[in-house]
Formats: sequence, C-alpha cells, structure tokens
Amino acid sequence: MKKRVGLLLAIMTAFVMLVMPLGNTTHAQAADNSLEKIQKKGVLVMGTSPDYPPYEFQATVNGKSTVVGMDVQIGKKVAKDLGVKLKIKSMSFDSLLVALQTGKVDMIISGMNPTPARRKNVSFTHTYYQGGYDIVINKTDKAKYKNKDSFGGGTLGAQTGTTQYNAAKSQTKNTTVKGMTSQSDLILALQSHKLDGVAMEKPSAEAYVSNNKQLAAIPSDFNMSSSATSSAIAFRKGSTSLVNKVNKTVDQIKKENLVKKDYLPAAGKYLKTNTVNTSMTHYWKAFLTGIEYTLIITVCSVFFGFIIGIILALARMARGNFFKNLLRWVATAYVEFIRGTPMMVQVMFVYFGLGLFVNLPALTSGIIAISLNSGAYVAEYIRGGINSVDVGQTEAARSLGMSNGKTMRYVILPQALKNIWPSLGNEFITLIKDSSIVSIIGVTELIYQSNIVRSDTYRGVAPIVVIMVLYFILTFTASRILNYFERKMQHA
Amino acid sequence: MPKPVIEVEKLAKSFGDNQVLKDITEQVNPGEVIVVIGPSGGGKSTFLRCLNLLETPTSGKVAFEGHDLTTLDTKSVNSLREKMGMVFQGFNLFPNMTVLENIKLAPMKVKNTDDASATKRAHELLQRVGLDDHADAFPDSLSGGQAQRVAIARALAMDPEVLLFDEPTSALDPEMVGEVLNVMQELAKEGMTMVVVTHEMGFAKSVGDRIWFMADGYIQENNTPEAFFANPETDRAKDFLSKILM
Ligand SMILES: Nc1ncnc2c1ncn2[C@@H]1O[C@H](COP(=O)(O)OP(=O)(O)OP(=O)(O)O)[C@@H](O)[C@H]1O
Ligand SMILES: [Mg+2]
Repeated sequence: MKKRVGLLLAIMTAFVMLVMPLGNTTHAQAADNSLEKIQKKGVLVMGTSPDYPPYEFQATVNGKSTVVGMDVQIGKKVAKDLGVKLKIKSMSFDSLLVALQTGKVDMIISGMNPTPARRKNVSFTHTYYQGGYDIVINKTDKAKYKNKDSFGGGTLGAQTGTTQYNAAKSQTKNTTVKGMTSQSDLILALQSHKLDGVAMEKPSAEAYVSNNKQLAAIPSDFNMSSSATSSAIAFRKGSTSLVNKVNKTVDQIKKENLVKKDYLPAAGKYLKTNTVNTSMTHYWKAFLTGIEYTLIITVCSVFFGFIIGIILALARMARGNFFKNLLRWVATAYVEFIRGTPMMVQVMFVYFGLGLFVNLPALTSGIIAISLNSGAYVAEYIRGGINSVDVGQTEAARSLGMSNGKTMRYVILPQALKNIWPSLGNEFITLIKDSSIVSIIGVTELIYQSNIVRSDTYRGVAPIVVIMVLYFILTFTASRILNYFERKMQHA
Repeated sequence: MPKPVIEVEKLAKSFGDNQVLKDITEQVNPGEVIVVIGPSGGGKSTFLRCLNLLETPTSGKVAFEGHDLTTLDTKSVNSLREKMGMVFQGFNLFPNMTVLENIKLAPMKVKNTDDASATKRAHELLQRVGLDDHADAFPDSLSGGQAQRVAIARALAMDPEVLLFDEPTSALDPEMVGEVLNVMQELAKEGMTMVVVTHEMGFAKSVGDRIWFMADGYIQENNTPEAFFANPETDRAKDFLSKILM
C-alpha cells in the first residue's frame, strides 16, 4: 500500500494545522449532513494519484488521456449508488490527504490503506480490496530468487514511504533497501540491474509482469497484518452518514466479488490496449498537452511576475513619509521571504492554503504561485537596472518639469529594462524549466505528462528522453528569440 | 526697476557636516545673463541646482517669479521647473531616444502637446541650433558639441523663462566649444535670462551682464565683467584670476 509520510506531507499537514481552526468547525458541524450535502451538490469529487496500475492509471481512451483502473470503477459505483455524478481529480499521492481536508476533493480512492495514523485525520469505509505483496525480478534471475529472504547481499527496491518499503527494511537481512518515488523508476532500475528486485503490490506486480516479458514475479512472504494490505475509501473526518451509506456499496462490492470479477479485468484491458503501442510518437498528444501547459504557465507567470516585479521594485525604492517607509519595508520583507523559501512550498501554499478560502483550480494556483515567486526575483533585477541608470538622466528629466512618476516611466524604466533584458530573458528560460514544479498539484504540464506516459507504457527512459529534448527545444527557441530582440534593442 | 525673476535669500546648503553654501542673497532680473565663476568645489553646481530645487536647500528661500519654491508642494515645484531649463556638463541626453524624441518628450508628456505640433517645434529648435539634419540620429552618434546643442534645444522646447547652464562646455574638445557658446550668445541676444556657470572667461566678458564670483560657500563679488576683471576686490578673486589667466 501507499503510505507515504514524506517531508512534503509533513509540510502540507503543517499548513492545514495552521489554517485548520477555521475549517475544522465547519467540518465538525457538517458531520451529520455530509451525505445530504453531497447529494444536494450532485457531484462527488474523487481524489486519486493515477500512477499506480491497476488501481488507477492514465490510459488513452478514444484518443483522450483518461484516468482508469479498479479504483475508478469503485468510484463510479459509489457515485451511482449515491445518485450523483463522479468527478475525478488527479494529484500526487502526497497531496491527497490535504486535498481532502481542505475540501478540494470529497473522497480519496487511491489504493490507500487505513492505517491508525490516517484514521486520526480522516474517516475510512470498510476495506474494498485485500491485497498482498510480490517481488518483481528480472526473468533471467528466476532460478536465483525465491522470496524476500533470497536477497542477502543484494538490493531490493520499493516505493518510498510505502508499507512494502518498511517491510522490506524490517523483514530482510543483509539486504540493502532502496526507495524511489515512482514505480516506473523502480522497474527501470531493476532492468538496468541497479536493483535485484522490487517489492510491490500483487496487482501492480502482475500488471508489470504481464506487460513486460523480461520480468517475473515471486511471492514476497512478507509478514503482514491484514489492515496493512487492504484498501479503503477515505472521507473527511466525521462524515458518519456518508461513510455509512458508502459502506453499503463497499459491502456489496465485496459480497459479489466485483473487484476480482469485473474491475480488475476491466483495468487489465486498458493495460493491454495501452501497451500495444508504447512508441513515444503514439503519445504525441500527451506531450503536446504538456508543452501547451508548460508554455501557458511560463508565459502567464512571466507576464504577471514582471508586473509584480515592477511594483515591488518601485515599492522597495519608496522613501520619505511613514507610509512610503512601511511600503518599502513590506516589499523588502516579501522579496526576502519569497527568495528564502522553496518554490515547491509556495506552490502548495497557494493551492492548499489559499484553497481554504477561495477554491482555485490547480492551473490558476500554479500560475499565481510562480508569478508571486518570479516577481520577487524580477523585482531585484529591475531595482538593479534602475540603479544602473545614470542619475544625470533623472536630473535632466526633472529639470524639464517631469514628475517623479513620469521620469520613472518614460526615462528611467525603458533604459533600466534595456539593461536588464538579458537577466529577464534568463528568468523566462528558468521559468520554462521551473514550472515543472506545479506537476505536484496535478497541472498537466510536461513533467506530469511524462510521468503519465511512463506509467502508461512501462517504459522508463524513453519519456524522459523525449521531455529532455522537448525542454531543450523550448528553451533553445526561447533564447534565440530573446537574443534576436536583444540585438534589436542594442541597435536602437 | 523690473521685478526679479529669481530671488535668493539667505540660502544655505549642507551635505552632512560639509556646509557648501553658507549665506547667499542675490537676485536675477529678466533678460540678465549672470556668469558664475569660482574655484572648483566652491559650490557653483550646488548653487545652480538649488535654484530649480534639484537640490533641496537646508535653509533660506529660493523664489521664482515671486513663488518661494521651498514652501511649495511637489506638483507646483514640477510645474515651476518647466520654466527653468537646465543644461548639464554631461549633456544627459536620453540615449534610448532619437534627437527628435529627446526634444519632444517633455512637451508631449508634461504639457500634453500633440505629436504634430511637438514635432514641428522640435524641428524649428533644431534648425536654430543648426542640427535639423540630425533629427533622427541617436545621441551616441553625435559629437560633444552637437549633443550639447541638442540638449539646449531640448531645454528650449519647454519655453522656459530662465536657462541654467552648469559648465556646458567643460566636457567638450576645444574645437567644439565655440559652436555651443555661439548658440548661447544668440540666446542672450534674444533676451533669454540665463545663469551660466563656466570657466570660459571670454564668454563671461563678452556676454555676461554681471559676474558672480563664488568661493567658500559665499558669493564673494557681484560686479560687471569690466569692473570684475579689471579690479577684483577680494584676494580670493585676485588669486583665482591670476591662476586662470596664466
Ligand atoms: N550630493 C552630494 N553629496 C555630498 N557632497 C556633495 C554633493 N554634491 C556636492 N557635494 C560637495 O559639495 C562641494 C561643492 O560641490 P560643487 O559641485 O557644488 O562645486 P563646484 O563649484 O560646482 O565645483 P566644480 O567646479 O568642480 O564643478 C564639494 O565639496 C562636493 O564634494
Ligand atoms: Mg560643478
């Protein structure tokens, strides 16, 4: 099971704790009418992390990239029994719990197992699936390995923070355990013999083996309590009426053995059709979407970042009365703060933190966060550019009767911008690359798309090579264009 | 007796502990050409910059056409500055604009003159300083003498009552000094009120109506050029003249 407790989660939980006092009361009061509320809304938003076949993964259905898998089938059934529509929201597994607590999603179905720690923060339904663990190995090693105890002196891999990772660590001897964040990376490492085996859940292992003839699966024989290998649906803490109602659906699914009978085979079908054509050109649409979003984010963020940068730069140069000094102080503090915190945290803060008050879509949140971040850096470039303009220019303009503002606008800023054009260009190129950070909140830019393609095709390297080339084409083209304008400006 | 254009009363200016201007009380009358001379570091530039409030006086009064600039709000100071053009030693043309744009900028942005009339006026002024064929050139392609003449045209475009010159020829190659001084002499003839800081003694003698000799933060002598150059009264002035006339 996926049970990440990484740094990301810790940070995000800290956010929620900070802003929760506001949110908590409403959730507590909502306890009794949680069912009613969903039915009134008519839409049930399911959060999931589609990089985990066959539970949930992206597949191309009718030419469109769609989230499929057995969890999606379960989500559909739950929604149907509640008489509402299902809406699926994809995000990284780390983000799911916070998204649930902050109301971005109504429930999580993402192969999540109901650990006691999680139970403290959310309410779980009965388990809908009981899994187990296998170890995936290279077929050529089949004679060598039997189960978890065969890897003495070797290296086992597992997804970081998962139950199988902890089990591999505590239940093997003389074995190095390596953690990575994505399954496809692990398989890749296995195939390039950096790992001798990869511990993963049975259904996942089966999916990989059936789609890759060089791989084989052996039983792990991990000693596990049944709760650690089960999956359940998570709802907001205290949503008793909703959980009770959904439990009826879950019980029916179990009684009729729907997962094994219907859902897993259906998911497997997508896996098959998916892997028929794993050439990268087959996925050009996915990559194109990635480029599109990367460019949207970059261009918007550069634009707004530039405006924010100018405002901040001017504010930082304000001097005189109390208000101007206060303005300068605030702007300085802002710039220092933004430059002193990771962009990733800022992105999460905007999406989840501000999300408590206004419901911003992931793309908008990403653009806001990156603009705010970029603005702080651009402000410093602009300030430097303004300082680099000779004071004689200001004096000449002022002596002609121009106000401070007009002097800045017509005389100083144009020259300052010309001086810092190369730095601004660099910022643009940096943003093309740094915009990849918003993949963590599920914006479908290049990195996100490449992860999808990787889990889709079980090909580890090819999608990376493709996006490397694509990123390079983007940045190289951008720098050519910027150079062209730079030369043009020098002539002016 | 005409009303003075500029009245300076008990003007003082310090930079930290350095008291550059100590106690200056003088007047400039309409149409007068005042030439300010004196040793380097004597406060001439500071004095000139106090006249249009590019430098804020520490104490005292600077009045333009009867309005005390030191008591006015920023907006009124801005509009009074239009009437006091300034020409700098380093030209300070806007390097990112053509000659024509340099001249048109302030009329269009400050006085809201329309483009056509601003362009027409700019060409007239360029003809007057003999540079209309350079209208579309950028400042870095001009010689020093040409640049300074453009700077004068730019100042004139705001139709100022007074022109302040801070060593307009000091940064020029000797052969270009003449072309700039000629333009200034023309302006003086047409009745422009001017305050000129310069080391060009020939110009001071032939064009100046009065010489202000400035040293140690005071205007030590205020006299006609004839009287000043023939009979400097203070030892400071005698010393200064003996050095530059060598
Ligand atoms: N912005 C300033 N800050 C501090 N000190 C200044 C400033 N401007 C001028 N000073 C000082 O004031 C004094 C007078 O300078 P000013 O430029 O007015 O002299 P000047 O007579 O124009 O000399 P020069 O012939 O060299 O141009 C000098 O000692 C100078 O260092
Ligand atoms: Mg000077």
